[in-house]
Parts: sequence; structure tokens; C-alpha cells
Amino acid sequence: MSKLKTNHKVETLIWLTIVAVFFVFSFEFNQEIEIYKFGATGWPRVIVGLLLLVTLGNFLHLYKKGSEAQFGRVGISDDEEEISYDGIGSIQKLIAILALPLIFAWSLKPVGFYSATPVFIALTIMLLGEKRIKWVLGITLFIYLVLILLFMVILNAPLPQGNISPFYDFSAFMLTLNTKLHQSLNY
Amino acid sequence: MVDNFLAGSAALFGDPFTIGVFIFGVIGGMLFGAIPGVSMLTLAAILLPFTASLEPAQGVMLFAVIYCTGTYGGAITAILFNIPGAPENAPTAFDGYPMTRKGQSGKAVGAAVLCSAIGGVSSALIMMVATEPLANWAISNIGPPEIFALVFFGLAVASSVGGRTMWKGWMSVLLGLLIATIGQDPVGGINRYNFGISDLAAGIAFVPAIMGFFAVSEIFVQAEKKAVGMYKAPKLSLDFPTILELWSHKIAVLRSILVGFFCGILPGIGATLAAFMGYGEAVRWSKNKDSFGKGNIEGVISSETANNAATGAAMIPLLALGLPGGAMTALMVGVFQMHDLEPGPMVFYNSPELIWIVFAAMFYANVSILFIGLLETKTILHLLKIPFQFLAPMILLLASIGSYIGRGLVLDVMIMFCTGIMGFLLRRSGYSIPGIVLGIILGKIGEQNFAQGMQMVHYDVLEYLSRPICLLLIIAGFLTLFTGIYKALSYTFKS
Repeated sequence: MSKLKTNHKVETLIWLTIVAVFFVFSFEFNQEIEIYKFGATGWPRVIVGLLLLVTLGNFLHLYKKGSEAQFGRVGISDDEEEISYDGIGSIQKLIAILALPLIFAWSLKPVGFYSATPVFIALTIMLLGEKRIKWVLGITLFIYLVLILLFMVILNAPLPQGNISPFYDFSAFMLTLNTKLHQSLNY
Repeated sequence: MVDNFLAGSAALFGDPFTIGVFIFGVIGGMLFGAIPGVSMLTLAAILLPFTASLEPAQGVMLFAVIYCTGTYGGAITAILFNIPGAPENAPTAFDGYPMTRKGQSGKAVGAAVLCSAIGGVSSALIMMVATEPLANWAISNIGPPEIFALVFFGLAVASSVGGRTMWKGWMSVLLGLLIATIGQDPVGGINRYNFGISDLAAGIAFVPAIMGFFAVSEIFVQAEKKAVGMYKAPKLSLDFPTILELWSHKIAVLRSILVGFFCGILPGIGATLAAFMGYGEAVRWSKNKDSFGKGNIEGVISSETANNAATGAAMIPLLALGLPGGAMTALMVGVFQMHDLEPGPMVFYNSPELIWIVFAAMFYANVSILFIGLLETKTILHLLKIPFQFLAPMILLLASIGSYIGRGLVLDVMIMFCTGIMGFLLRRSGYSIPGIVLGIILGKIGEQNFAQGMQMVHYDVLEYLSRPICLLLIIAGFLTLFTGIYKALSYTFKS
């Protein structure tokens, strides 16, 4: 009897889509290489072909055994709990947790590291369940200062500065402070 | 050799500034290895420009020391947080993290400290005695066909661990290989799969991908548990393993030293494959296979011994042939080039003092893992006490900085978070994250060596297989592959 569930079908469909996309896009660079018989597409197409085969093997396993782990597999923990969502609230929270870093990464170019970071820290702490505002602000400040001290002051690491005012101006202000600090330490 | 070693030691400890550089390397490597979210590669990438102001010997020595101590440091995060500090620590997490969940973090970390030191010191000693003969052997016996065969064997081993089924193990590895095809092809330099994004022409940098798959995905896994109220803080324990307990695993240690050294000596392979092979062999020879992945200390021992045994060996192709064995040794080539030096056979004749300072520093760095490592461990273990909501943003930001610094691209931070989300979803469905990462790392190496090997033998498969080491590794790879398929199919059709 089939043990297939909707999520198994979706999973297989995603893998087949990956296979199809990578196979179709391989025609974009289907050029011969004079010194190499298999060209630029040989290796990726073999991988795509093998991926198709193991996806079918996986589908067979899902059909017969569902999500059951294969007996004797090494390196998988047997104490992974099944996550159960108690309502729409926890799903929304998870989506926010997953989306926030993407928004942070996207904001690095226009806003810059120096301005985006404190907001990101505070929001992450709050999303992870901290409700005490004093703690949120205190820990945000602490993490921000540690990062600035380590990467800006000590290691002089180049971090994104942003390109929109007033964020860019704030980054410039931070870097000027750093330069002055280094000058005062050197002379 | 002893005279050279003593001369190297004298040069190392005779100058206060060189001692300072050595201590900075030891502590910096351990800290950056042990702080979740960043790695020794982050530190090395930041320090690279500064090495121009150091003496060549100090610069290369600094990187070699960071390599030794950073490889150990990455085990701490793998054990405590399920976030391997570097890909070579990934198999350590298989058993190290379950041990933490059982309240045995002290035992796991203690085993990692001791075995990293044993693996590293043995490797440094063999490196000092045998760099030249081993390099000569490698030149005459190891070529692209052998390297491809080892990559194939390594991937077959990686597919057999980590995933919920054999199919998922292979799907993970193949996904990694597919990601590695993004960027220029290694033979003709033709752009592949850049989807119109010009920054992708250089491929997916592996540091952001690794940070995403390991660190960010683990944060998301824990955050999900927090969101649904199922989060449990890991248990802190400071009970280190007894000498007797570790002595009972002496065979595993010896085997991992051999495996690690052999993998390390091969150009392009490095410590990552060594750790996977060390772990795989420990499982293969164990009478208690089912206990692996559930908190078997031998898993930690074999992985950590093998990856540190590879550090000394990886210096052999770098110093003797000028071929880097991995990302860290590739950065060391950068240090050489900054000082108008080329690593290779001539370094032994032109700068013997540099070679022996590096050898001595690596030896002492591995010894210091034992002493400083134990002290550091007692401090680092207290990281487990920090509430998750405060630790998570710190890890995410450190990982963001670590990803950005390598190439100065915001795209890399974006890639890191995207791979983090991918890793989170794949882990939930029982795929192997270390398998994906190994695929990414070995993909280009495998393709390049396959292409070179095929050109060498004029596409004659029989000639390819007439090379004994190559044949042996290919047979071992196919045996692992077919055993896996047989087990998977017989399980699927068993009622």
C-alpha cells in the first residue's frame, strides 16, 4: 500500500524541477572545448542524470515506506522530534524569522552594515521570544559594540557602508571615528 | 632533521615578535574556530593583507598555526551547537552533538582536544621526517586519475552517512556537485548557470555556502523549536573522558592518522575528505555500527584525529610542489606571493629557515592544543549557558561578516541566508547537509581532475584503470556505492 503523502509529492516535484531547470539551462553553454571531448556540459549533465535516477529511487522509497528512516543509516539522530504547530501564530513567527535575515542581507547595500545591524539584532531577539525591552536594548547595544570593536577597530575589516543618505553619512561618521581613534593611539 | 628542528625552534622562540605572532595564531585560530558563525578562514582572509608587513617566515608560520588550531577549534562548535566551524569538522557533529544533548559535552570536547593534538602532532612529525620522500612518491604515483578516484570514493563514503536514506544521501551529494558547477567550467573557462547575474560567473564561494548550510540552518532549526515552544537548552557538562576510556579507541586513532595523512598529502583533497573518510572507516570497522550518529565517542575521535592529521600532510604538496590542498593552504600561497616567493621544491633550497620555522611552529601549535585547548574548552563550554535569543543574532551577524569579507560582495551574504533556508528545509526532510557541503567542495576538484585524467589517457578507460592506486580507489568507491544501493533496495522492498 502506498504511504505517499502530499509533502512527498511536493518534495519529488521540487527535485524534478531542479533537474529540469539545470538540464534546460545547460543548453545555454553547450559549447565544444577543443582540448576536451566532453565539453562544458558533460559533467553537469551527468550529475543531472544521476540526480534524476536517485530522485526516482527516493520516490520509490517514499511510496513504499513514507518518511521512515532506512534501518542502519549512520549519522542521523534518532531523537529528532516531530515539530507540531499549535496555530497560525507560530507559523507566522517562523516565516518572520526566515524572512528577517533576507531583508537584512538585502538592506546591506543601500543601508549599510553600521545602520542595519542594531535594528536586525533587536528584531531577531524579539522574534525569538524576548519581551523585556531593557534586555532587548541592552543586548543589542552589547552585541553591536562587540562587533564594532572586533571587526572595525581591531581588525579594520571593510564592511558595507550603504549608499543612501543618511545611512551612508552614519557609516562615514563611524569610519572617521575609527580613523581618529587609530591616530590617537599611534601618535 | 633534529638539528633543523632545533634551529627552527630557536628561530621561533628567539625573537619576541615571532613568539607574539605564534601566540596570536594559536589563540586566534582556536577562537575563530570555536566561535559559532565565523571560522579560521574568516580570520585568515582578514589577516592576509597584514602579512605583507611581516617577514615571509612569520607570515607563512602564522597561517600554518591558524590552520592547526582552527581545525581543532571548529570541533567545539560542531559538538556544542551542531555548527561545524569548518567543513572538516562536519562528521564530528554527527556524534558530538548527540553527546551534548545527552549531557556529555565535556567528554566529547575532551576527546576532540586530545585526538586533535595526537593527530596534529603525529602529522607534524611525519611531515618533518618525510616531506621530501613523500613529495617524490606523490609526484610519481599520484596524478589526476588518482585524485578523481579518491574524490569518487570520498563522495561514495559521504553519501553513506548523514541522510535519512541512501537515496537522500546521494541526492545531497549530487545537489552539492550541481551547485559547484555554477561559475566557469574548469577546462574551457565557459560560464555556466550564472542566470544573468554577473557576480555568479566566479561561482558560489564556498564560505557563504558552508556558513549558510551549517550555521544559519542550525539557527533556523532551533528558532523553529523556539517558535513552537519545543526548544530545550543543551546540557552543560565538564566531565572529561578518562585516559583509559580514550585508550580503548587507540586503533581508531591510528587508523584515522593514516587515513588523514593519506588524504592530506593529495593536492586539492585536504582535511575535509580526511574527516569523512576517517569517520566512514570507523563505522566500517566497528562492531557497533548502529551506535554511530547517536553519541558514540569513537565518531568524534576518528573525525578529529583524521582532520588534524591532514593539516601537516597538506603542507607537503604546498611546500614541496606548490599545490595547495585546500582553502587555507591556498591562502598560504597568497602569503608566499606577497613576498615574491613561490612555494615549491626551490623553497627547500632557497629558504630552508622558513620551512623549519613553519614545521616547528606547527608542531608546537598542535602540542599547545592539548594545554590551551583544555583551558579554553572550560570557558567555551559556558557558551551553552547563554540564552538562545541572545546567541542567535550574534551567530547570524558573525556569519554575515565572515561571508562578506571573503569577496566583499553583499551577494555572498544573500547566498548564505538562502542556503541557510535551503539547509533548514532539507534537514527537516532528512537530507545530509555535510553531504551537500562535501559535494560543493569536491565538485570542481573532481571535474578538473576527471578532465585532466581523461586527456592524459586519451579517453581510454582501460588505460585509466591500469593505474593500481586509481583502480583500488575506484573499486572501493563502487563497492561502497553498490552496497548502499543493495541495502536501500532491500529495505524498501522488505515488508
